[in-house]
Amino acid sequence: MSIAAQRTSVRIATGDRLRFYSTQNVPLLLSLGLLVAMIVLYVILFVAKQGHAPGSFEFVTTVNNTMSVGLASVGQTLVVLTGGIDLSVGGIVDLTNSLAATMMANNPGSMLLISLLVLLVGAGAGLLNGLLVAFGRLQPIVVTLATLAIWQGVALFVLPQPGGTIPNDFSNLLTGTVPALGNLPCGIIVLLLLIALWQVLRRTLFLVALYAIGNDERAARANGTPILLAKVGAYTLGGAFSGAAGLYFAAFTTSGDATSGTPLTLTSIAAVVLGGISLFGGRGSAVGALAGAFILTLLLSNLFFAGVNPQLQDLFSGLFLILAVVASTLVGRLLQRTRRSAG
Amino acid sequence: MKVNTWMPAPLRGLSPSQRGALLAFVASIIILIAGGIYRPGLLQPTSIANLLLLASFIGLAAAGQTFVILIGGIDLSIPGIMTAMGILLTTRSLGQDARAWWVVPLVLVVGLGVGAVNGLGIVLFDIPPVVMTLGMNGIMGGAVLGLTNGFTCAECNSVAPPSVQTLITGQLIPGVPNGLLLWLAIAILVGLVLGFATFGRRVYALGNNATASYLAGVNVRRVTVAVYALSGLFAAIAGIAFTAFSTTATLAMGDPYLFQSIAAVVIGGASILGGRGIYWGTVAGAIFLIVLQAFVFEFNVPEATRSIASGVVILAALLLYGRETREV
Amino acid sequence: MPSIEGVQVSKWFGGVRALREASFSAEPGEVHALVGENGAGKSTMIKILSGLFRPDLGRVRVDGRDVTLDNPQAAMRLGIGTIFQELTLLPYMTVAENLLLGREPRRGGIINRGAMPVAAQALLDEAGIGGIQPLELVANLSLAQRQIVEIVKTISRQPKILFMDEPTSALAAREVEWLFGLINTLRERGTCIVFTSHRWNEVKGIANRITIYRNGETVGTYDASALGEEEAVERMTGRKLEMLFTAPAPLAEYKPVLEVRDLVANGVNGVSLTAHQGEVLGIGGLAGQGQRELLLSLFGVNRPRGGTIAVHGQATRIGSPRDAIRRGIALIPEDRKTEGLLLPLPVRQNLTLPILDRLASAGFVRRREEADLIHAMIDQLGIRTPSADQPVGALSGGNQQKVLIGRWLLTQARILLLYDITRGVDVATKHDIYELIRRLSEQGHTLLLYSTDTEEIAHVCHRILIMREGRFVSELSGPNISPEAIVAAAIRVPGQVKVEVPT
Repeated sequence: MSIAAQRTSVRIATGDRLRFYSTQNVPLLLSLGLLVAMIVLYVILFVAKQGHAPGSFEFVTTVNNTMSVGLASVGQTLVVLTGGIDLSVGGIVDLTNSLAATMMANNPGSMLLISLLVLLVGAGAGLLNGLLVAFGRLQPIVVTLATLAIWQGVALFVLPQPGGTIPNDFSNLLTGTVPALGNLPCGIIVLLLLIALWQVLRRTLFLVALYAIGNDERAARANGTPILLAKVGAYTLGGAFSGAAGLYFAAFTTSGDATSGTPLTLTSIAAVVLGGISLFGGRGSAVGALAGAFILTLLLSNLFFAGVNPQLQDLFSGLFLILAVVASTLVGRLLQRTRRSAG
Repeated sequence: MKVNTWMPAPLRGLSPSQRGALLAFVASIIILIAGGIYRPGLLQPTSIANLLLLASFIGLAAAGQTFVILIGGIDLSIPGIMTAMGILLTTRSLGQDARAWWVVPLVLVVGLGVGAVNGLGIVLFDIPPVVMTLGMNGIMGGAVLGLTNGFTCAECNSVAPPSVQTLITGQLIPGVPNGLLLWLAIAILVGLVLGFATFGRRVYALGNNATASYLAGVNVRRVTVAVYALSGLFAAIAGIAFTAFSTTATLAMGDPYLFQSIAAVVIGGASILGGRGIYWGTVAGAIFLIVLQAFVFEFNVPEATRSIASGVVILAALLLYGRETREV
Repeated sequence: MPSIEGVQVSKWFGGVRALREASFSAEPGEVHALVGENGAGKSTMIKILSGLFRPDLGRVRVDGRDVTLDNPQAAMRLGIGTIFQELTLLPYMTVAENLLLGREPRRGGIINRGAMPVAAQALLDEAGIGGIQPLELVANLSLAQRQIVEIVKTISRQPKILFMDEPTSALAAREVEWLFGLINTLRERGTCIVFTSHRWNEVKGIANRITIYRNGETVGTYDASALGEEEAVERMTGRKLEMLFTAPAPLAEYKPVLEVRDLVANGVNGVSLTAHQGEVLGIGGLAGQGQRELLLSLFGVNRPRGGTIAVHGQATRIGSPRDAIRRGIALIPEDRKTEGLLLPLPVRQNLTLPILDRLASAGFVRRREEADLIHAMIDQLGIRTPSADQPVGALSGGNQQKVLIGRWLLTQARILLLYDITRGVDVATKHDIYELIRRLSEQGHTLLLYSTDTEEIAHVCHRILIMREGRFVSELSGPNISPEAIVAAAIRVPGQVKVEVPT
């Protein structure tokens, strides 16, 4: 390392930027690569089994199957970035989908109002988590485990038996297609909006604070990062996304069920992991989480089209998750070794 | 090092883990007595024995969870292993004592082995415990479904061997289910190991600071694999016990034990970050959860209330003694 | 008018009084050094003046006005910048993100990520640093580079008052020169600079005035040019300088105990050495030249890729700390709090952790035997603790270090690898440690000692091997040993090392 008094070149070559970006974002790139591989595999298996290429129907179904997990995993990403975890995702989805199914009436006013209400409820639940973690100084895994139980219970009060209805118009809005855009699934529009939102969010002081906290909370504090506010914000926004996931869930199933959202907790965590986001915090992109959500949906489809016994779904999903992480670790170690011998 | 000064002197002498355990025990007794005032039947010896037996299943499942949490990890595969091992017991033994002598050890070994695989995945490939045990839980669930053809196999309706049933529900001492004696024996053993054995010392060292422990010659990998293997073993024991109690095994029987095993450990005063906690705390936590359940059940409150109550109790426990107030 | 003052400041930590009505004052355009033993109060004073702590009694004044510094940010707003030993960099973010944290370039209301590398490069250029890439992850930088980024980060905010706590601890001589150049520039600009250091020649080299603390009180403020080292040490400790170091007893015979040939590992590029029974062998050289890596490979943490190690004549493979301990090798690591001690656990468990197998029957610890060993060691080292069950975290720094040393003495290791063990330790305990080193050497133990304190290495070792880029480049022994010779050999420049003192 030289200590030079003269000015060095101020421009940084694009090639250099690309090199740094790619070496520092390996997990995300691996995740996107895996997504592409899964899509290719899907097409191959589909054609092999059905004799024709997948069409608009398959596209829409895949997107709709993924959206609630995708939304939940974006929320989970925000929390995981701070080094925490949110186990209450499933409980919030239970609660919000139950609320939506019981309260939404078949008119635009109600649809809008209840949607907003549901998002607020999700945010409120997240706020509780955030306050307990930030101000209560309690560990996220156990706080959110407790609130999971609480919201599951409340959901059962709202909707003791599966039931309720979601108006068709609302369901179509979220899970239908837009004929004018060549039957593009509405979900894709939401997805694109999410990705755009992330690009903006990524460039706010809020997200910088989350990354800083996840990197090293003590150092972040010394730098003047508003730790409490940022953490509360992460959990609150996370809860809002879980609420949105519940809304999508209800729209997709067109009715409510106070217990079927529970698996989304662990699924959102799996999506985050498959998206290359570190569970220790400080690194990762929500785009990866969305990719992870799609990977999970495509996995199930691929298993189906490959003729795998549906009873073994869980087995293969579990195996897949573990193997994906192992592969990622091994790639990481390989890169470390090549850098060490080069440097 | 500061200690909450509002605490009465005798309590201050105890470690936070012991305080947690004591608190949970006392709270259980209070709730039980309160319930007993309205429903005297609750306080009958048979009722209490039954409650404690139900608590033992949580306690056994949570024994492994205690070890795992002590080293700073978590085991999300306990429900899967419990269910799988219970089903393994019934479908291999076909309800026959003649087969029990090899089926029971088989179940224990498989449980141990599955746990060991968890541990190996974590130490060899740096897989976060959440991910490894989550994946393993799915693998267990899927394996069960696959091997039993969706639980429609001919053997699926088998019962646990009578000798195993007696092991749990029989009464060597009149009025005391054998399962309680088993639990007591295990609790004493675990307590001795954690408190006085070299393995226990290493578990606490590892949970406090893995790097320092490594530099002090602790074989971090071996201890980690051993702890997860133990967790698998205890999950298998819990699976056997619960199956013996219910006579048959069912597909979702292990599911409630994920939440309850973690809750019992936390209510018992252990730190989720590791390095602090004792098994007697988990025992107290398990008893507390069952007493709460009985209370809710007796008063005909909807199931949903129990869920909410459990959540609130955990938060209360955390706020009381789950915060890192020490400055060391 | 002074830039910053502490007036009659008192501070308690629990029942311990860290500062008793201590005062301090520094002028604009001055470089002011705070010296004193650890626990003397100088770090506490700096932390109060920079807003990290609040005084229990007394006041802080900036530019003559009383101020209340609620937190470091409030201090920042008043123009106070701080550089502490614990870096505040975020490891998995880039140099640019770290340098620009809180003042990122914006466009349209959100952060302009594209403009960040260029803006960061500008800051680096202004500070005279080349060779650190703005887009590099901080985690991929060396410790010295990280310290430099930390310095640039704070100085680029152009503080009017700059506090630095041991700023040169991770830096090699050339980097220290750069830093002092920066300090000079800041001084000319009128910045008030206050720093603490344990390195006397640096203090003398750059400071205008020196304030000495002892036992929480201000002993006095002196002109740097007028204060001699012996006088300073006497005022810091109340003791004379000669008594500080204990010269090693010459070796009667040379029996090789540890023989290393052509060792290759990460950061170690072909090291050969022979250490003898009773020898105190110093490992010197600039920071970051492989000394840490060498000791870690001898302890099994940094696994060797080539070469041989022989202990007592027997060739051996050391693949883990457990292997090393079994061969009678002990390592006392750099950071006792994160790498050595288990702070919440009792003294008892910290002392016997490596030797549990020796103290156990059927897997259970023989408590009586353990208690005997522990109490003997506590007595031998003079560890001040109310009981063996006291959590180690509650002990003072010096006593904690003694517990760590005691742990390794209990392993009956004959070869001790000591990595900077007197860093952050007060002079009284340092003295005890030097005595201990001499005693151990007389008892036939072999010690390999790495220290950033060249005075210490010069006075305590029989022989010194200078390391550079992972291999030994020279050896000093007997009358050739002096701090100047060590530094000269380290940077391969004949003659003295000069640090400019402005007038």
